[in-house]
Amino acid sequence: MTNKERYQRAFSTLHASEDFLMEVTPMKRTGKVRKNRIVALCAAIALIAVLATAAYAADVGGIQRTVQLWVHGDQTDAVMVVEEDGCYKVTYEDENGDTMEMGGGGIAIDENGVERPLTEEEILEHLNEPQVEYKDDGTAWVYCQNQKLEITDKFDDDGVCYVQVKNGGKTLYLTIQYQEGYSMSPHGFEKP
Amino acid sequence: MKLSAEEAFHTYADRMFCAAFSVCRNKMDADDAVQDALIKYHSLRLDYEDENHLKAWLLRVVINRAKDISSSFWRRNKVPWEDYMSELEFEAPEDSRLFEAVMGLPDKYRTVIHLFYYEEYSVREIADILRCREGTVKSQLSRGRTLLKTKLKEDWNDDE
Repeated sequence: MTNKERYQRAFSTLHASEDFLMEVTPMKRTGKVRKNRIVALCAAIALIAVLATAAYAADVGGIQRTVQLWVHGDQTDAVMVVEEDGCYKVTYEDENGDTMEMGGGGIAIDENGVERPLTEEEILEHLNEPQVEYKDDGTAWVYCQNQKLEITDKFDDDGVCYVQVKNGGKTLYLTIQYQEGYSMSPHGFEKP
Repeated sequence: MKLSAEEAFHTYADRMFCAAFSVCRNKMDADDAVQDALIKYHSLRLDYEDENHLKAWLLRVVINRAKDISSSFWRRNKVPWEDYMSELEFEAPEDSRLFEAVMGLPDKYRTVIHLFYYEEYSVREIADILRCREGTVKSQLSRGRTLLKTKLKEDWNDDE
């Protein structure tokens, strides 16, 4: 037996996890699943959109940037601090005057699979994406900058809803599966 | 050529996992690397000349991802490879010894050794996948082989 044959036999016992197949379908829907892991963790609280007027200011921990967020369709001033590793923190006052804080960050992967921190522009782009929210009263909403659209009654028998929104100069097509995520594409509605 | 994400998984996931594992020596990290690479494959929608081109691209991406995950500040999965090894069912005792010997190699030799012996790539092809010089691959391959021979003795031939 050659070394190659021995090696191949020894390593043929390794197998990738089949669990990944369960994530293939959502991956196809979103096309951006786990673009960065940590950004995904904050998605639930990131009901915001950002307009990009920016004033840089010195800050101890990173670059502090004044941004304008769209929170539930209302424009709000906020302060975003971006660290060198791509992590960010955003602070703003909500409609009740309470200070709200959220953070995230993460990595992007280039065409060769090399990991790098997200740039500020990419973070802004992420924050600027439409969001879907399911409220405690059972209603479902899409937020995109100053647009608010209730979609509670828009789902078909398969629990899928198709929504078209304007985001800046772009038209985005959202395919939303009730409580199971959504996909977004500038080219057209993705199949669920 | 273009495969769906599912087809790419069924065709290449195991060999991608092997390559990733040879880099990061951790099952969960290797699975993460495979998943990230396949997501990248799906999202980029590149054109591939043929099956070999696609396979080489997937291996390059998964190896790079595995390297990044291994060195990432956010690395979460720290289960030793020895623990995972105890779950594996090797066909023969010498397979287990070979696996252990490879895992015991320094990081920089494992990937080259894996691409040569498992994927049967040439030195030039390995250099292309890893984006490094052929001389570097030759040198790492030679040192890796020497270490394997030292560890495995009669279980490792001088056939290459």
